[in-house]
Amino acid sequence: MGTKAKVSGSVVAGFPSPAEQYLEPPLDLNELLVRRPAATYFVRVQGDSMVGAGISDGDLLVVDRSLRPADGDVIIASVDGDFTVKTLRLGNGERGTGNGERGMGNGKDVEVRLEPANPNYPVITLKRDQELDYFGKVTACIHRFVGKK
Amino acid sequence: MIGLVDGNNFFVSCERVFNRRLVGRPVAVLSNNDGCCVSRSNEFKALGIPMGTPYFQLKDREASGELSFCSSNYELYGDMSRRIISILRDEAVDVEQYSIDEAFIYPPTTAASDYAAYGRRLRAKILRWVGIPCGVGFAPTKTLAKLANHIAKKRPDGVFLMPDDPTEILASLPTNEVWGVGRRLPVKLRAERIITAQHLRDAPDDTIRAVGGVTLLRTAMELRGIPCCDEKDYDATPDTVSCSRSFGTPATTLAAIEESIASFAAQAATKLRRHGLLAAGCNIYAQVFAAGGGGDFVDRTVVFPVPTDATNEMLRAFRPEIPALFTPGLRYRKTGVIFFGLEKPGSPQQLDLFTPDSHSPFPVPRSPSSLYKAVDALNARYGKGKVFSAAEGIGPRPWQMKRAKLSKRPTTRWDELLTVR
Repeated sequence: MGTKAKVSGSVVAGFPSPAEQYLEPPLDLNELLVRRPAATYFVRVQGDSMVGAGISDGDLLVVDRSLRPADGDVIIASVDGDFTVKTLRLGNGERGTGNGERGMGNGKDVEVRLEPANPNYPVITLKRDQELDYFGKVTACIHRFVGKK
Repeated sequence: MIGLVDGNNFFVSCERVFNRRLVGRPVAVLSNNDGCCVSRSNEFKALGIPMGTPYFQLKDREASGELSFCSSNYELYGDMSRRIISILRDEAVDVEQYSIDEAFIYPPTTAASDYAAYGRRLRAKILRWVGIPCGVGFAPTKTLAKLANHIAKKRPDGVFLMPDDPTEILASLPTNEVWGVGRRLPVKLRAERIITAQHLRDAPDDTIRAVGGVTLLRTAMELRGIPCCDEKDYDATPDTVSCSRSFGTPATTLAAIEESIASFAAQAATKLRRHGLLAAGCNIYAQVFAAGGGGDFVDRTVVFPVPTDATNEMLRAFRPEIPALFTPGLRYRKTGVIFFGLEKPGSPQQLDLFTPDSHSPFPVPRSPSSLYKAVDALNARYGKGKVFSAAEGIGPRPWQMKRAKLSKRPTTRWDELLTVR
């Protein structure tokens, strides 16, 4: 996604540019933030439930669906039909394996919690029979100081 | 070996990725103008409501909360389709996109030892990356791959490899389930006692040719395992490029007819430029409402002074003809534009001494319009329809497509992103 500028190395006349053989494509934020375009989605944060993790109201999150969720990851999941951004905590520090086709099975021994980074919000604990409806892992947060929409 | 990958209930599946409340519910996506059901969830199908059922017949069941509906969100479906195709391009040697939700793939040689495992991996990747469940079928020809895909969708793992001898499977399928046979041919085939796909495969060539010509013979050959479908037939240069729509509410004014045709021409011209083509002329038409469906159809053919892809030159050429399509007092249901005589720029040309806009003795060379290259770039960057011709109308567009239940376009519009709390 996004178009990359093409850099042409040709010089019409005159002395050859001393920089010519050193020309490189310009830095591209897509390259930095979007590793897998086909699996990457942008979402907008509403509210301050993750403000302690550096995620503020109005921020833009880069989300990669291809990455499997693990304990301690900031993830996007759906709870009762609404999407939420929270830190994933798997009980007893066990690692999530993400073996289900969509989301992960809530194994017998692993407690799945979605933790806010703001004491004013409750921790969401999934019921034993409830499967985590995982959307994707947050890989970056874009916080703008100027030109916010 | 050829694979066919096809998104299950594709439009509904796209809606569900971003609206989890639709999961597990009977949901259908509606056609243009919210007319009828064009994509149904399994739960919706299980209620026995057929494809194409008009929306107005189901409104009560929506109000009671039993059924859910979405308008067609082509911006979203197009983007999700693009994502799937890009994954397929990474995983296969070649990909031929057949429709918004279907693509033929040529698996790499490394997949040959176990096509089913390759298919399952592909399916799992698309499900995880994009969120769309797919069916994957493998067979030696496209026609057989289509059938394999059909079977794959009914299996829990969503993958099916056509066995070396598919006789038993072909014997269980009526001819109308075979790709390209359609609805009319099975009646004729029945007269020849060709009922199943196996009968069609094993019938004598002369009989097949007599019923359905060389096209049907090609289908039979494909059922025999001999590839006969030309590669990429369907992404060749199109013969025509068109755009038409039924109106949300009937149009009764000349302005509505003029503006709608100008708008559809602008959309079709964008398509034309995307293919890198010029059009020699166009056919503009309008259709009138009539009791019992159908209705009068009026059209005009306009040949452009020189083949062009510039919307403004086209408008100049066909706008004077529009009033001839309009009769006051009639209610119009649909208008449209078809461009014909498509060619690549720089093709051999017949020069015309009397071309009106040639101020020099030589006509202007026919080349892509740089003005509209810029317009397309602006609209791609700032959103469809940001730059448009005044002829398309600047006020409300009552003739525009009705999409009352349109979901957001979270992958193509910055101001419609998914929000998370």
